[in-house]
Amino acid sequence: MKFISIAVKDFKELVRDRRGLFFILLFPIFFMMIFGFAFGGMGENNTPHNIAVVNLDQGTINSTGSNVNYGNNLTAELQDQNYPQNNDVKLFNVTTTSDSNAKDLLRTRTVDAELVIPANFSDSVQSLINNTILSSTGQTSSANKITSTITISGDTSYIGFGVAQGTLVGYLSQYQQGIVTAITGAQPVQYINTSVQSVAGTSSFTEFDFLAPGMMVFAILLLATTVAAILTREVESGTLLRLKISKMRSFDLLFGGLIPWSLVAGAQVVILLVVAILLGLKWQGSVYSILLAIVIGIIAGIASISLAMIIASFAKNDRQAANLGTLIVVPTAFITGSFFPLPAEYVNLFGHSFQIYDILPWTHTLTALRSVLVYGSGWSVVSSDVIISAVLALILFVIGVFLFSKTRLGAES
Amino acid sequence: MIEAKDLTKKYGDLMAVDGLSIGIKKGEVFGFLGPNGAGKTTSIKMMVGLLRPTSGTVYINGTDVQKVEKGTIGMCPQELMLWEYLTCKESLDLMADMYEVPKKVRDPRVKKLLNDLFLVEKADTIVSKLSGGMKRRLNLALAVVHEPEVVVLDEPSEGLDPQSRRVLWNYIRAMRDKEGKTVILTTHIMDEADQLSDRIAIVDHGKLIRLDTPENLKKEIGEGDVVDMKISDTSRNQDLINELAKEKDVISVVEINGRINIRALNAVAKLPMMMQTVERLDVQVADISVRQNTLEDVFIDLTGTGLRE
Repeated sequence: MKFISIAVKDFKELVRDRRGLFFILLFPIFFMMIFGFAFGGMGENNTPHNIAVVNLDQGTINSTGSNVNYGNNLTAELQDQNYPQNNDVKLFNVTTTSDSNAKDLLRTRTVDAELVIPANFSDSVQSLINNTILSSTGQTSSANKITSTITISGDTSYIGFGVAQGTLVGYLSQYQQGIVTAITGAQPVQYINTSVQSVAGTSSFTEFDFLAPGMMVFAILLLATTVAAILTREVESGTLLRLKISKMRSFDLLFGGLIPWSLVAGAQVVILLVVAILLGLKWQGSVYSILLAIVIGIIAGIASISLAMIIASFAKNDRQAANLGTLIVVPTAFITGSFFPLPAEYVNLFGHSFQIYDILPWTHTLTALRSVLVYGSGWSVVSSDVIISAVLALILFVIGVFLFSKTRLGAES
Repeated sequence: MIEAKDLTKKYGDLMAVDGLSIGIKKGEVFGFLGPNGAGKTTSIKMMVGLLRPTSGTVYINGTDVQKVEKGTIGMCPQELMLWEYLTCKESLDLMADMYEVPKKVRDPRVKKLLNDLFLVEKADTIVSKLSGGMKRRLNLALAVVHEPEVVVLDEPSEGLDPQSRRVLWNYIRAMRDKEGKTVILTTHIMDEADQLSDRIAIVDHGKLIRLDTPENLKKEIGEGDVVDMKISDTSRNQDLINELAKEKDVISVVEINGRINIRALNAVAKLPMMMQTVERLDVQVADISVRQNTLEDVFIDLTGTGLRE
């Protein structure tokens, strides 16, 4: 098990090189702090959120026998809402439309979020009213408890959605509360549920909440620069030559190196999460979310180390590796949306349309990390992104091993 | 044991190694002697399979060097190739693991190596905190931790203090005498080649000039002494060389780095004759010394020039 000896060696070198370790761990924290202070209050501003409302509500008969449609009422309420601190500005720009059209509007980012009012919405509101009246007069009724679910959907990689969904969830709970207090003043039983991409959202979402996972991905991407420099130093110092003439295989060297560095990536996720929470990140989830986030971080780490192998295959010395690394890593961080979301760019290939940024494993890592940490999603929601990023990381690793072996581990010519 | 045939290495227009053919016997210390840039390192890199020759073949025990089992050769490079953040013991353990040395064998072997190379007290010291001499010794230890059949040492004494050099030389002799290893040594230090090598290959400009034992090489140019002279007006060097060359007792006379080297039997007795020649040309002696024939003189005789640094 030569790769274990290599992993132990790399781990010892990593821990004993205090300056390098300091840089790896503190530099991203520094970035996180800048972003925390810069964007911590943003998103809570006074611009209307563009939403598409798909009202499927079929109405209901109320206690006086009239036909009412609470879906229409909710739509009108959404249109009428103003910012509490600025009465001249609407909270939402509402576009009422069909589901398919709403999806198109989402894709072009004309709207931030889509809100679907279900067919039984009026029934559930009427049920809420009836039961509230009954309970206020001391009667209990188990009959006619109808619940409905309003679905809010959108692109989780788009900051506009993050802010809009937070506001919508907050407003919908207010709406339900409003109905009950209008009747009795009592606390409502939950009759109207909201579902944001099947996960819970936050009520006061800021840009920092959206950007914090991006900082984690940026930190993991930065590992590529450090690891590339270390690999090149191994070439420069000649220690690679020693290993090369031994019985070590390329796999031992590169897989052995992968272990401590991908653990660093996992550790970075935890450290940066703690820092982000201290800076005000309103994160969702539990210990399970952290574990899931660490796994996602490790996968991104593997991709970064693979990128480092590719860089180290071409760099002549560690300075060149660091420079080349920065030249590749920073634009990649932008492309993956680590700093701010880029406009969607779709390309058509073999009859399928996909986002060009999706070819990078870190794009999926970011989406998955954001879902897990900010929206509190579980494995079922992020599995596809995690699997895709793992597959892409594996492809990158194979390319890295191939190039590094070819350029650095064969006999010189 | 090692058979190199017509080894050639070309870098663009530069012929680094030109048709080198050498056979190295099992259990001998074989020295490559030549100035820096003579093609020594390039030659041994090809001989251990680290560098592909432009043409020619290398066989180790009858097997093509590219196919020979890894671990047959141990290479101690000219430069220090060490992991700065590992300790001496950790470095040796790592290399032993890389050569698949079982832990039971590895531990006593590492202990012995540290002891033999006077590194026991520094076993748990981080490499970056070692002195230059200690690093050199560790550099060698890393090359032999797997007990290879062939040990290649590229300029092992470079930058060593006298104490470390003595430790190293003793260790090289012990490898041959006690363990029967084949040692290939490159050096530009005459004394090192003379003291350690069973046979010496003199190379310059990528070509093998002569291959023999140090004794035979010295015999080949005679047992004369060398008068090393410097005259005040070096522009007259050639005149003096021409005059001295006419003397029948003078074996050879050459100019080396502005000085005149005169080789003659019983040189002390020939000094009056030499001084008369100097006076006849009306030049003055700035510096003069007489010494015994060395390997360097062999080199000068063969190449017509001194060793370049």
